[in-house]
Amino acid sequence: MPETVEDAGSRSAEEPIHPPVSRRSLLPVSSMVHSRREGRKPCSSSNLSWPPEPAHAPRRTHTICMVSDFFYPNMGGVESHIYQLSQCLIARGHKVIIVTHAYGDRKGIRYLTNGLKVYYLPLKVMYNQSTATTLLHSLPLLRYIFVREQISVVHSHSSFSAMAHDALFHAKTMGLHTVFTDHSLFGFADVSSVLTNKLLTVSLCDTNHIICVSYTSKENTVLRAALDPKIVSVIPNAVDPTDFTPDLQKEKSNKITIVVVSRLVYRKGVDLLGGIIPEMCQKYPELHFLIGGEGPKRIILEEVRERYQLHDRVRLLGALEHHQVRNVLVEGEIFLNTSLTEAFCMAIVEAASCGLQVVTTKVGGIPEVLPDNFILLCEPSVKSLCIGLEKAIDKLRRGTLPSPETIHNTVKTFYTWRNVAKRTEQVYDRVAKETVLPISERLERLVNHCGVVTGSIFALFVVISFLFLVFLRWTTPDYLIDIAVDASGSKAAWTQEYCSKKKTKNFLIK
Amino acid sequence: MEEKEYSDIYGNTITLQQQSYSDTCQDFTITSSKVSIRSLTTWTCVVWIIAYVLFVCTQQTAVLTVAILFSIVGLLLYLHLVKVDHESLLILGSLGIQRTSTYASGRENTVFIEMCRVQDVVINEGISMHRVNYYLCLLLKDPSDPQAGVSQVIPVFQSCQPRLDCLVEVYRSCQEVLAHRNKVAS
Repeated sequence: MPETVEDAGSRSAEEPIHPPVSRRSLLPVSSMVHSRREGRKPCSSSNLSWPPEPAHAPRRTHTICMVSDFFYPNMGGVESHIYQLSQCLIARGHKVIIVTHAYGDRKGIRYLTNGLKVYYLPLKVMYNQSTATTLLHSLPLLRYIFVREQISVVHSHSSFSAMAHDALFHAKTMGLHTVFTDHSLFGFADVSSVLTNKLLTVSLCDTNHIICVSYTSKENTVLRAALDPKIVSVIPNAVDPTDFTPDLQKEKSNKITIVVVSRLVYRKGVDLLGGIIPEMCQKYPELHFLIGGEGPKRIILEEVRERYQLHDRVRLLGALEHHQVRNVLVEGEIFLNTSLTEAFCMAIVEAASCGLQVVTTKVGGIPEVLPDNFILLCEPSVKSLCIGLEKAIDKLRRGTLPSPETIHNTVKTFYTWRNVAKRTEQVYDRVAKETVLPISERLERLVNHCGVVTGSIFALFVVISFLFLVFLRWTTPDYLIDIAVDASGSKAAWTQEYCSKKKTKNFLIK
Repeated sequence: MEEKEYSDIYGNTITLQQQSYSDTCQDFTITSSKVSIRSLTTWTCVVWIIAYVLFVCTQQTAVLTVAILFSIVGLLLYLHLVKVDHESLLILGSLGIQRTSTYASGRENTVFIEMCRVQDVVINEGISMHRVNYYLCLLLKDPSDPQAGVSQVIPVFQSCQPRLDCLVEVYRSCQEVLAHRNKVAS
């Protein structure tokens, strides 16, 4: 039985970049109507394996709304986290929808694999793919969606996403349960982090539960947002082990390749990399660098390559698609990560899963990600990283490194999406039992918890948004909103039959 | 002829008349609610009060004349161009689909689509303003290039905006006719 779930996860991960075909998205709703009324009986009886784990399936299923500014077609860790988590929750019998903002031509409502419904809302993007926030303007639309999808838990992702905070705010006004996942670490010292931390305090002080991706991240969030640690859980990210397998046919050669795959931005320590490359290349003539990723700091690496005449030894691959990453990783023997801050480093788990020796900086949550024998931790400085690389090369030459298969087989048991989904589900179960604060207590909490000035300002916003909600309920009462046909969850009109058939023609059950 | 009452997305009553001439010929007419005397009075009052305020400020009688003309012409244009009295969808399995909107002034707007261009009739959902609505639409294909898929989407009943239960009713009957057509074709 467990295999079924894993299958669902891995199958869905095959093509996460372009799952929705626009033509396909036109069709399903009516066919769902069709199937629910007419085709329901044969479907449910013929698909006993759906949901795949009936014995372990929880008695209580939730309708979950994931909200974040970051979702496909944008690429990154948060995006794949939301997608994979949703898929596994759907496989466990919950109803999941995703709300994000429109990406260029991609707006409206789309369906991804297994009936995962995505709302691309027409909201203006302000900065870095994050929408503007006024705490009020998105209420009508979000309220409409929450009502028509009968949402019980609103789960927001990423503290950089304004829409996630807006959704939390509105959900609390509407009396829905709220969960927040924080994916990043922040500082405390500079002005921008002081401001964001204040906003985070306001946003999280009345949120039911918070999820962090590592213990370091939990510590950071608890301090930043002045939270009670009891309502903060740690659920790490996961990788799809079937996507990241070592290359067993690889022939042995004298050449040693160091792979770096990351966005080339300041946060990822590209400046350090620029210092390491010439030093290491000078010491080891057989050493090659393979660098995947794109970003504003690419120019530094190009300069280094130019200055030291390393064109044949340092290859810059530019932006990589998700499915290319594995093929790049297996070309090397050592993976180098130079991040300056990281809540949970997915890249090193992916690299270890491909059987590479990982050399990384010791920052943020990285030390807790992998056991010591798979990873070489260094201080974030050129000198320390060079020593780390030398150690790794030395081990590689003496052949004392564990073989790629053993690394893969050990690492693949560490982080699975099924496990993440199971733990997240426990958070939902817990949250569903709690009560949402009524408005009077919420105001009191804001003023007491966030300081008098900020607290009062946001308390005013709470009152305004509450009045706005009353107004909206008067102009469009809940009973006038059509309840949406479920595409996933216990009352799903989509069955596995739909998901396995790719052709749009087959959407109608005869 | 069947007649049923439904509500549109704003909560106003609309009626769906369904006339079945044969297995392959169905006619649906959705009649929206009439212009209510209340909204008419409200709008006229608003225009006139603004005009009167302006008149008091400027002491120009022309303002009042403009207000009279404005309200009369506005009402006429509204009835002629905006207010749809009923919309109908006539589906003939062997021939095509005809969509007619009749405006309150009696003006008619008819579009006919040959059956060879119709790929399917579906219910879709879309975001408009601060709402997410279901709507019925016709999927058209290019008859010269049938493999290319949907070339155009034509929404129907856009003025009446019926709710899902009403759309499902129309959708079922349309699918029956289309299924009949496909059976004959194959």
